[in-house]
Amino acid sequence: MNHRAALHRRPLLFFAVAMLLYYPPTNAAPDPQEILRASDAVRNPGKPYRVKLTLTEYEDGKQVNTNTLLTYSREQEGSSQFATLAAFVLPLRDAGKLMLRNGNDMWFFDPSTKASVRLSPQQRLMGQASNGDVMTVNLGRDYQAKLLAEEEVTDGERKLRKAYKLGLSASTTTATYTTIEFWVDQETSKPIKGRYFAESGHLLKTVYYRRYQPQLGRDRPTESVIIDGLNPQLVTVMRFSDFSTPTMPTAWFQRDYLPRFQPE
Amino acid sequence: MTTCPDSNLNNRRWRASRLTVSVVVSLLLSAHSVRAAGDDDALSLESSAVAEEASASGASKVYVEFALGHADRRIPPPSQTLSRASLDHYLTGRLAFGWKGVLSNRLDVLDPAEPGKDGVLNSLREAYASWSDEAATWVADVGRINTRLGSGYGYNPTDFFRDGSLRTFTTANPIALRENRMGSVVLRGQRLWQGGSVSIAFSPKLANAPSGDAFSLDLGSTNSRNRGMLVLGLQPSERVSVQLALYKADGLNPQPGVSLTALLSDAFVAHGEWSAAREPSLADYAWGVSGHSVTGQRFAGGLTFTSATKLSLTAEFQANGFALSQAGWGAAAATNPALLDAYLREAQRRQDLPSRRAWLLYATQRDLGRKNLDLTAFVQYNPDDDSRVAWLELRQRWTNTDLALQVQDNAGRSGTVYGILPERRSFHILLARHFQ
Repeated sequence: MNHRAALHRRPLLFFAVAMLLYYPPTNAAPDPQEILRASDAVRNPGKPYRVKLTLTEYEDGKQVNTNTLLTYSREQEGSSQFATLAAFVLPLRDAGKLMLRNGNDMWFFDPSTKASVRLSPQQRLMGQASNGDVMTVNLGRDYQAKLLAEEEVTDGERKLRKAYKLGLSASTTTATYTTIEFWVDQETSKPIKGRYFAESGHLLKTVYYRRYQPQLGRDRPTESVIIDGLNPQLVTVMRFSDFSTPTMPTAWFQRDYLPRFQPE
Repeated sequence: MTTCPDSNLNNRRWRASRLTVSVVVSLLLSAHSVRAAGDDDALSLESSAVAEEASASGASKVYVEFALGHADRRIPPPSQTLSRASLDHYLTGRLAFGWKGVLSNRLDVLDPAEPGKDGVLNSLREAYASWSDEAATWVADVGRINTRLGSGYGYNPTDFFRDGSLRTFTTANPIALRENRMGSVVLRGQRLWQGGSVSIAFSPKLANAPSGDAFSLDLGSTNSRNRGMLVLGLQPSERVSVQLALYKADGLNPQPGVSLTALLSDAFVAHGEWSAAREPSLADYAWGVSGHSVTGQRFAGGLTFTSATKLSLTAEFQANGFALSQAGWGAAAATNPALLDAYLREAQRRQDLPSRRAWLLYATQRDLGRKNLDLTAFVQYNPDDDSRVAWLELRQRWTNTDLALQVQDNAGRSGTVYGILPERRSFHILLARHFQ
């Protein structure tokens, strides 16, 4: 009888195990797209903003160039992607030159020749302004995220952090990089590090986000270290300072306004 | 106790495979540690101090440039030393709420002087005030403004305000030459909206004839007749932009023009420009023949390719229906070669193409072998007479100083477009210093 009862109870046991396997535990990892969106919100204030970028380039550990740009960013109407206008300040030979990115609509304007030249993504990648993207780009809009691992990773301050490692695949035609490996702090959603890849699969750059400070309402990275993928001896340290939220009409972010643009 | 040979073999295989695995693992670990060490080195680097004075809102830019060169010539004197000093100043700033001002000036001291001109030439390139509303949707400008249109690299058929805009010709590079260009005095209004704009400009007649005097405003070069232009800028998609223009000058029929750019892929950008007109031919302008107009078209179109190695290459085809045909060129050469000299001068003054067709190949390579060493080179080829001009520049950039070497070669048989230019070959060394 007992044996028979045990036989009858066995399907119930199987059912209970199956239910346990089917329903994930309540402390399961959250949606990777949600992790990415939370990390985007750390980098990007939810309103138009201006920031000064100081880019220091190193080659074999020696400083070879310094550039200063003012970048103006605002979300495009009808999309959550950023339009960015970069105004060159230093070195002096480049002062007043402008670079506009509005999705695939990219322009370079030189006030000395009054020429607005359309840029290809490849041309834009050649210049330092493209490094500004590591700050402003809204990854959650252009990339599909997958959770690859939960692991400890060294951050930009050389401390170990518990992180979600995400694999990002481009899901729009405006995405600059084909794939990205992206590490996000499990506790704070702060971006820690990204490895950006080209379509060919080669590593374009590794970026560390560091020196978090309160800016425009929450802790945001005020420095990033960009290591060239082909030659790791080429390093750019990019500092973000003077955050502000000036009035930024949408008309600024088009080719025809470039000759008239006057930085605030 | 005997040992099975198979067992020995298995042991050797096992040891070998264990060795292989350990080598691979150690290589992977060492590669990882190298990468980590590399990142670690990078993370120890610091940013430069933020330039507190850096601001673009009231930008002032000054540079001085000295050039010393030598030319081999086709006509006496057979060789010539060339020198130039230039002072270039650009100033922009906010005048009042909604208003900004721009002042842009260039002073050149040339030895030898260009024929018929002073050795000292000042070009007031721009001096204007601009107003815009808070939403930046309405804009008005008044003053001397460089109103430049066109997407072409070497030739701009829709750049209707290009004629007479250059007092000095300090380089053969068409892109660098635009930096010297003077604007015309205009009153201009513009309305902008998302994805487009429309502008209208009126440029009045203010003087009769060009001036070669050192500090002349030279309004006779830029404002010698009443002119007007309507431009509609459109953005049909992220990858395509179009400018439609309608230009009208006193004594000439309205001239339509179209300029277009398109992003073809991550590495290719296409551009094209076209305009049509009924006006005197370039030769009639040069030789002072009046009362005869022809209908023709101008065109420039090309492709720019950029590689991941910072090489940018542009190929452009150019056409000018108002230029001398080969038959006309030959007839002028047979009648009086001085006619061709006057013709080429007029083409240069008008920034117009002297031949019916031409090809331009323009290349730039950044960081050529060393950081901040840039190469710029182009060849302009006239397929009708097989003549060409080739120009090359190597420029090393430091923080505020540039050092450059420029070489130019004008090649062609006697009597061809580039074969009759006075200079056969020239080189220059340039030193430039930038100030705030």
